[in-house]
Amino acid sequence: MRAKSLSDLLKKGDRIAVSNITGREASKVSIVSQRYCKNITAGWALGKEGQTIEVPGIGAIPVFGQFNELMAAFPTTKKPNKIIVYSPPDAVYGDVKEVLEHGKESVETIFIITEHVSIEVTAKLKSLADTSGIDIMGCNTLGFINAHDRVRTGAVGGDAPDETFQKGSVCIMSNSGNMVNTIATYIKAAGMGVSYGISTGKDSLILTPVKELIPLAMKDPRTSMIILYVEPGGSYEEEAVTYLKSIKKTKPVLVYVSGQFAEGRNISLGHAGAVVEGRNSMATTKMKMFDDYFGIPVFDPERPKIFKDLLSENKRGIRVNALHDLVTAARSLTEVCGIETDFTPVTRVELKPWFINFGDFERKLPSSMILQPGIISEPYGTLVERYVKSGFGRVPSRQPMRNSSHASSNDGATPRIYGYSVMSLMRKGSFAESVLLYWLGQPLKHEFEAKLFEMGLIAALTNGPGTISSQASKLSASAGNPPNTAMIATLAAIGNVHGGNGQESAKMLIEVFGQSGLTDPYNQSKTPDLNIIVAEYVKKFKKKKALAKDAGLDYKKVPCLGHPVFNKEPVNYDPRERVIATYLEENKIYNVFLDFYQRLTRGMTVAGVTNKVHAVNVDAALTCILMGIAWPFLVNKKITVERAVDLPFLAFALGRVAGGAGEYLDHRESGTDMDMRVPVGECMYLGRIQD
Amino acid sequence: MSAKIGELIFLQQLSKRFKIPSPDYVVEPVSQTEVKNKLQEWGSGIVKPDVLAGKRGKAGTVHKVSDYREAMQLLKKVASTQVGGLQPRTAYMVQAVPADMELFTAITYNSRFLSPSFTVSLKGGMEIESIPDSDKATIPVDVFQGLNAYQASETLTKLGLKGKLNSAIARCFVNQWDMFISTGMQSCEINPWRVTKSGQIFACDFKATFDENNFKSRDIGLQLPEYPSAEEALDEEMRIWSAESHQGQAHVSTLGGKKIFPILFGGGASTIIIETLAQCGGDPMFLSDFGGNPPYERMKKTAEICFRHKLGDASLLLILGGKANNTQIDVTFAAIADALEEWVSQHGPLDIPVVIGRGGPGLVQGLAVMKKTLENLNMPYVFFGPDTPITLVAEYAAKLVNYSEKKVKEEK
Repeated sequence: MRAKSLSDLLKKGDRIAVSNITGREASKVSIVSQRYCKNITAGWALGKEGQTIEVPGIGAIPVFGQFNELMAAFPTTKKPNKIIVYSPPDAVYGDVKEVLEHGKESVETIFIITEHVSIEVTAKLKSLADTSGIDIMGCNTLGFINAHDRVRTGAVGGDAPDETFQKGSVCIMSNSGNMVNTIATYIKAAGMGVSYGISTGKDSLILTPVKELIPLAMKDPRTSMIILYVEPGGSYEEEAVTYLKSIKKTKPVLVYVSGQFAEGRNISLGHAGAVVEGRNSMATTKMKMFDDYFGIPVFDPERPKIFKDLLSENKRGIRVNALHDLVTAARSLTEVCGIETDFTPVTRVELKPWFINFGDFERKLPSSMILQPGIISEPYGTLVERYVKSGFGRVPSRQPMRNSSHASSNDGATPRIYGYSVMSLMRKGSFAESVLLYWLGQPLKHEFEAKLFEMGLIAALTNGPGTISSQASKLSASAGNPPNTAMIATLAAIGNVHGGNGQESAKMLIEVFGQSGLTDPYNQSKTPDLNIIVAEYVKKFKKKKALAKDAGLDYKKVPCLGHPVFNKEPVNYDPRERVIATYLEENKIYNVFLDFYQRLTRGMTVAGVTNKVHAVNVDAALTCILMGIAWPFLVNKKITVERAVDLPFLAFALGRVAGGAGEYLDHRESGTDMDMRVPVGECMYLGRIQD
Repeated sequence: MSAKIGELIFLQQLSKRFKIPSPDYVVEPVSQTEVKNKLQEWGSGIVKPDVLAGKRGKAGTVHKVSDYREAMQLLKKVASTQVGGLQPRTAYMVQAVPADMELFTAITYNSRFLSPSFTVSLKGGMEIESIPDSDKATIPVDVFQGLNAYQASETLTKLGLKGKLNSAIARCFVNQWDMFISTGMQSCEINPWRVTKSGQIFACDFKATFDENNFKSRDIGLQLPEYPSAEEALDEEMRIWSAESHQGQAHVSTLGGKKIFPILFGGGASTIIIETLAQCGGDPMFLSDFGGNPPYERMKKTAEICFRHKLGDASLLLILGGKANNTQIDVTFAAIADALEEWVSQHGPLDIPVVIGRGGPGLVQGLAVMKKTLENLNMPYVFFGPDTPITLVAEYAAKLVNYSEKKVKEEK
């Protein structure tokens, strides 16, 4: 083995290159790793040269087409010295050979994450690596973590390594990658952190097995205890025990051997290598082997005193029968061996239910079986508040959507929108109804909603040729572009401050009414007291505005109030909003959101927050219409909050793009080429001539 | 699961191709005339079932015959008699080889050498572990260079076999290696080789396992048979489904339990959870591992298959895994929740308790989806986060199912 210490396998300052980095898993894990420890120098993937893996807030990881190109791009001192292989199984041999050929001067260790590599290839990789003097971990390792240096390879620690791995003095070696994390989490309750977490991999051939790693852990200054998670299969532990027996002074070892239940049954365990071939690789044989080495029977948590006495006679370590007994056993070992704990434990090993609802079933249980929900620790507590306890909006779940859609289908004969035949919608429905079905996934609850939506779309068509979205369409026509380009230009010229303010308005309404218990926005008798809600909102806003002004900062204004075109009118109404409001009044339809907005404009003036009389603009009216439609779906968790927030902007864009098309048609017919160009004489240069 | 083959496929498809001397044979159905002629030629034959027998082998179903009428009867009887609960594909009769000497050879990948190894023993016909070290030798084989005749010969010499026979047998061993490496095998045994007084060598029984991950075994040019197996319908369906994709695990092995329906994640976690359930009387129905970040569709179909086979008989649904590294909990839980909803809509309400414990990316979103589904389905539940050890959750689930079962029985 090339590594002379555990830190030789991974330490701070190591530079990592990742094969097949653009793959689904590799890119995801690399982004987390880069956020955690910034140790990835580059990646390579055939045909993906020039691409980058963007890591927000950190920078991009460059991608090369081949490993030799990657190596050539870095000076000698910056060349990668560790490699992570995420290649598909049949490509692993070629990729590792490429690394050995072009990286022999700098590469020290290769971590092969890939699963399902053939055993023949694995044996060949071992032979090649031995010849080249390079260590290989794997195949099918999850990776390696050096908790003191806060660096990792692979996915050890998942997407939050800091949460699991606190630095300390226990070296975990495990056949199972997941068990590295699980054990690290458990032993925190014994006040122990981790020096190194090592997933050896669990294919049939483990290229860096425990017999190689234990000698390194024995001389590692950061490690005072070793925990082994062992599965059936292979002779690795037998050789490790032979080594342990051969040395005089050892650090204590805690062992858990799994897989005993499978003996005598013709079943295969989860890992490829956990196949018993011969008596010596059986779980019970391994258990006995460790018990013999330790010289004491398996740990019994019910008799800690007896085991402390046994351990103090023979400090080699002990085997546990249940994984959570590692905590009690580790505590006993630290006391007996005089090992200092790494920190004061803040958690205990116990059942900590997060949610429980046994309903009638509870009556069948004795009180000892009835659990009470405990406190959910951070960061989960906040997330639970957001996703579970907040009774608002559907919780989204994600899946690959390349070839699937909830929104549309076509069986070759009938195109459908959320299961509704397009032909039947054409016959019975309207465009507005169909669009809203497409956007909400549900048919409308009231007939008037389609009419209101259509009124909003008409209002969004135009606000005159001077608006920047209309100007964009005219610019495109003036340049001689086809109609689709003009429509794109129209869309490209709307944004957060032109058309998109409805999104902010929707967010505000959800924030104000989300926890108010509002279920039916059209039923005035069941609405919360708007005077109180408005007063509270105005009060908060006034305070925020005052604080921001004192600090000389800009403040977030109330969205969709005081539209520039209308806010100097003596009576500040947006006439388009008036049309919608009048329709509602005439048809005796109440909309709590529009009522709130109208009261808010007055409330702001009365409270002296502003000296203007603001108008509720048409964007607010459109948002109020859409929130009225979407609200029952949000309450019943049929749609997500995110979807509801997008609706006003989508509606504005839909209306305005049709308006942009109108401007294009007019301009193309009557305008002249390049007539939108600003003459040179009208353009001003604001800098200084330099030559 | 790796493909395995026995002696008959070796005789039919491999022995001639790799020049490994083997006895003549006939396969049922076969005409009486042919059996008669063969027995006249051979003197006697051995009737065997074509079955992948377990450790206890084909004992009791292997018969030496010299009379063609008896042979015909036995061929039909053996073909229809189960061996260790397994129905043979057919029966066959091989030429009986009078042995002056028997040897055993095995080629496999060896965890001690981290390379292939070749084992030869002068005691054939028995388990290799039962043979004393003085009568067997294991040598590492360079995976690139392979087993050469010199190495094979030297090994035989160490075991005391010298002379002309040594060289002839060594050539057979090299051919066995060629077959092993050319076809992507993971292990192969010839037990025994029989050597006649005249020095003729025959490979007289054979078994091999192919490495499903080796492209050679996938493109071998052989017609590998489907051996009837004792596996349950769930194992069979999941084996086929698992082989369809490498995106995420879909591993199930039924255990014959009747209480807990376990949906488990992670190779290591699933093993220790089942171990804990078994120790605490949870009587799990099967071992499962659905980790490895399966996409939604994959996870949903996996859950659908398992639910269809076993959920109706379960007394508790356990969804448990450690703190995932890659597996998206929101995706996998949404898929399981949707499959559960569909099962209930097809089969009617289910009031068994559900115990859930998990950690990993998208955890809370996943729990939220599952909680909502269980509330919709009116199923009792308890959820644990990654701060509760999975083994404690498994212990609790085992107690819960037992107590409720006990109560149910008392009520009855």
